[in-house]
Amino acid sequence: MKKWWLLLTFFICWNITGFALFDIRLAQNATATIPENISGIISTAPNITEILFALGLEEKISAVTSDSIYPPAAAKKTKIGNFWQPDIEAIIAADPNLVITLGFPLYPQQQNLADRLRRIGYTCLTVFNTEQIDDLFDAIKKIGLATHTQQKANFLTAEIRNEIEHMVLLTKETGKVRVLYVVQREPLRVAGTETFINEMITLAGGENAIGPTIQKYPPIGTEQLMLCKADVIIEPTMGQRNSERLQNNAVEYWSRYKNIPAVKNKIIYVVDDDTISQLGPRLHKGVETIARCLKPELFETPEQ
Amino acid sequence: MKQLLTKRKLIFQISLAFVALIVIMLACSLIGTQHISIKSVFAHSSASNSINPDYEIFMHVRLPRIILACIVGAALAGSGVVFQVLLRNPLADPYILGISSGAGLGSIIAVISGFSWTLWGRSPIAVFAFIGAIGTIWLVWFIGRLTGKSNVTGLLLAGVVVNAFFSAVIMLLISVTQSSKVYSTIFWLMGNISEEDIFVLWMGAGFIIAGTIALFYISPQLNAISFGIDDARSMGINTSRVQLVAFAIAALITSIAVCLSGLIGFVGLIVPHGVRLVFGPDHRQLLPLSSITGAIFLVIADTLARTIIAPAQLPVGVITAVVGGPFFLLLLIKSAHKTSWFNR
Repeated sequence: MKKWWLLLTFFICWNITGFALFDIRLAQNATATIPENISGIISTAPNITEILFALGLEEKISAVTSDSIYPPAAAKKTKIGNFWQPDIEAIIAADPNLVITLGFPLYPQQQNLADRLRRIGYTCLTVFNTEQIDDLFDAIKKIGLATHTQQKANFLTAEIRNEIEHMVLLTKETGKVRVLYVVQREPLRVAGTETFINEMITLAGGENAIGPTIQKYPPIGTEQLMLCKADVIIEPTMGQRNSERLQNNAVEYWSRYKNIPAVKNKIIYVVDDDTISQLGPRLHKGVETIARCLKPELFETPEQ
Repeated sequence: MKQLLTKRKLIFQISLAFVALIVIMLACSLIGTQHISIKSVFAHSSASNSINPDYEIFMHVRLPRIILACIVGAALAGSGVVFQVLLRNPLADPYILGISSGAGLGSIIAVISGFSWTLWGRSPIAVFAFIGAIGTIWLVWFIGRLTGKSNVTGLLLAGVVVNAFFSAVIMLLISVTQSSKVYSTIFWLMGNISEEDIFVLWMGAGFIIAGTIALFYISPQLNAISFGIDDARSMGINTSRVQLVAFAIAALITSIAVCLSGLIGFVGLIVPHGVRLVFGPDHRQLLPLSSITGAIFLVIADTLARTIIAPAQLPVGVITAVVGGPFFLLLLIKSAHKTSWFNR
């Protein structure tokens, strides 16, 4: 029996020592203020990198993720892993005084990274908490505030808004086109109504062929597909090149659903989604890409 | 014929294994994606004004992570031994009675309910996973008891069915909730060793060390149980009490390991078997050596996981299976004829 008491005593002492030595109120410095002089910024996502470049902060960026390929200058910066698996050691080694991370619930790794960095004492700025276009403007504003480039941030926001407004005016006249934005084929997943892609489709003069769903990128069955009456089907290339082969492949795949208007009229596009599937400062280009698919007649140059 | 286990021999073996563990932990803390030298780690630590990246990486990233891998590995391997002897089944591992799906269900409920507090530095996901794990194993134990006091088959079947049932509930919840919310659970369930706050490590280590020592205390009784419940009873051992204590402690330390790092498979299955193949089935020796070997194994596996495809990282479960599996099979072929699975 004695050894059990000994063990109990040891265990209680251990825990008391723990409470005495270490602070229980952890990560209280989560609201640490952003330093006055930003000298080394780390971006943990390609769209954050784009915003930083658009705000003219190239000199102050000390490292970016390996998938930050736009603008081309970003590819020359030090790398800290890709955005879904940032390497915390590389981040510390780059000696930043501001780390900007994504708040998307879709990428918990980013949240996890920010928590870990904050615990060690680094300053993190989290942008993009939802997946809405407004969140882009919010992010630009936040980054502008933190890096003392508010003016440029306002300019950038105004510019993007202008371009989008232009696109809305251009496409508003003709009727709404029903669009199916296919994220993945097997099983079939499309962009739902709660996504920024849905917003972009609306801005480009279309409407989502799929009605409201619980999930953001819902899997849909054949029955629903038959009833969606999509006029246009858009598939992203997801970074793959060789678009001609992808295009043929897509037409062949969709030919099995003969009674969808888009298939009947062969209006199936495989588009480079670089500007579409990320919320970045080239958003208006993405809207334009979609608009070109929906209403190509508006973009034909009159001279020809 | 193996030599008898003397106290001196046991102490010698345990201390040797312990020294090996310390050496390996130190060696692994010098390996990583960024090159750091021990000299520069301690060079600037006195001058606190300037940030020394080497010091930050060593003290705040690598060391906590290695300590976490160490305590989780020890907990899983130690409880693996206990589940194997209690269930008298070589396929048993710490997750066999539904801890995994219970933890999964708990974490999904936490995500859906959207809490955002922390308890002792643990997120609601971890806390709910812990509650789910403990609750599930209590439920399985309770159902198992209804089928008969020493009915191992009843317990195992209850575990399998509860596991399947909770997995189905998890799938149901995943398909009716907004998918983006659930992603954080999937990420978490995959098993994730990353650096933790020192206080969390300290408390976790306290539970796991105390639990392992307690299991070591009852290892002579576990030896008797491995001969068979009736034999143990005829030796004057209160078998149901020993079973309950061993079961409760093993479940507790497994749940703590799950709470600290999600679900890491394979350690609790192959480490006890490996140690048993090499050192024999005496639990006085098997328990402490399995715990220490489990710690060593997970520290090495995690070091590989974070360096092998650097700067990206592999889930540590991949390494435990890919490296541990073939190694274990080799051991199995070489030494299976020398030893029996239990004391039979």
